[in-house]
Amino acid sequence: MNDPPPLVFEPTTLQLFRFSAATWNSHLIHYDRDYAHTEGYPDVLVQSHLHGCFLMEVVRRWADGRGELRRFSWQNRHFARPGDVLTCSGHIVDTEDDLVSLELEERNQEDQVCATGSAVVALTHNGKDGS
Amino acid sequence: MIAELYERCLPMVGISTTEHLDAVESLAAERFAVAAGAQPSDDPHPLFLSSVMGWHAGPDPGELCPDGTTEEFVPGLPLSGVRLMGAGQDLEFHEPVRVGADVTLETTLTDVELKSGRSGDLLLLHLTRRYTADDGTLLTTCLETFIAR
Repeated sequence: MNDPPPLVFEPTTLQLFRFSAATWNSHLIHYDRDYAHTEGYPDVLVQSHLHGCFLMEVVRRWADGRGELRRFSWQNRHFARPGDVLTCSGHIVDTEDDLVSLELEERNQEDQVCATGSAVVALTHNGKDGS
Repeated sequence: MIAELYERCLPMVGISTTEHLDAVESLAAERFAVAAGAQPSDDPHPLFLSSVMGWHAGPDPGELCPDGTTEEFVPGLPLSGVRLMGAGQDLEFHEPVRVGADVTLETTLTDVELKSGRSGDLLLLHLTRRYTADDGTLLTTCLETFIAR
C-alpha cells in the first residue's frame, strides 16, 4: 500500500477570512494585520483548525474509496501566514488487521514544521486490495 | 495575571457544560468544506463540528474581548483578557455526522497546567468535547488543548 500523495496548500487572506466566517471565529489575529503585529507576528495567522484541515485532507483523499477515518489528531508547531506554501505529507507507519496508521506533517517553504499529526483509517473490504 | 487565572480555572477542572447545537445545516457544512479547501463530500467535513468557535449569535461587538474573541468561547471559563491560541486536537470519530443531525455538545475542562515559557507564564487548557446525537449516540470525541497567555 502506497503512502498518500502530498498536497500543497497556499493559504490566502481570502481563505482565512472565509474560514473565520464559516467557523464564527472573530479572533482579530486571523484578519487584522495591525493586531497581529501587536502580538509580534509579521502578518495574520492561519487558523489552528485550518492547519488541521490541510493535514486531514491528505488522509481524506487517500482514504476515499479505501476506508473510513476513525482517528485524527494534529499539533500546531509553528505559525503560518498568507503566502506561505504548505506541503502536507503522510506516511503509513503501521497496518494491523484492517486498521492503517499514518503520520502526517505540514512544512512551509523554509522546511519548518508547522504542524504534525496522525490518523487511523479502517479499511473497508474494497480498500484492502487497493495500492 | 496568568498565575491568578490558573487559580481561578483550577476549581473548574472536571466540571462539564452542555450546549444544544441544533441541527447540522447543510449550507454551513458546505461553506466550511469550501473554506477549508476540502474535496466535496456527502457528509459534513469531519473537522466541521470541532472547528466552529461559536454555535450561537454571540455577544454584541462591544462585549467582545480586545482580541475579538468571546468570553463564551469555553462556557463558564474566566478567559477574558488573555491571548488564546489553539494547539491542536485529538479526535475519535465514533459515528458519521449527517446533515440534519440534532447535536448536543458536552464540554469538560479536563486539566489546566501552568507553565513558564520563553515569553513568560502560560496556561495549557485541556478540554474534552463530546458530540452526541439526539438519541444519545456518541458521534465524535475531541480532546483539544489551548494555550492562554
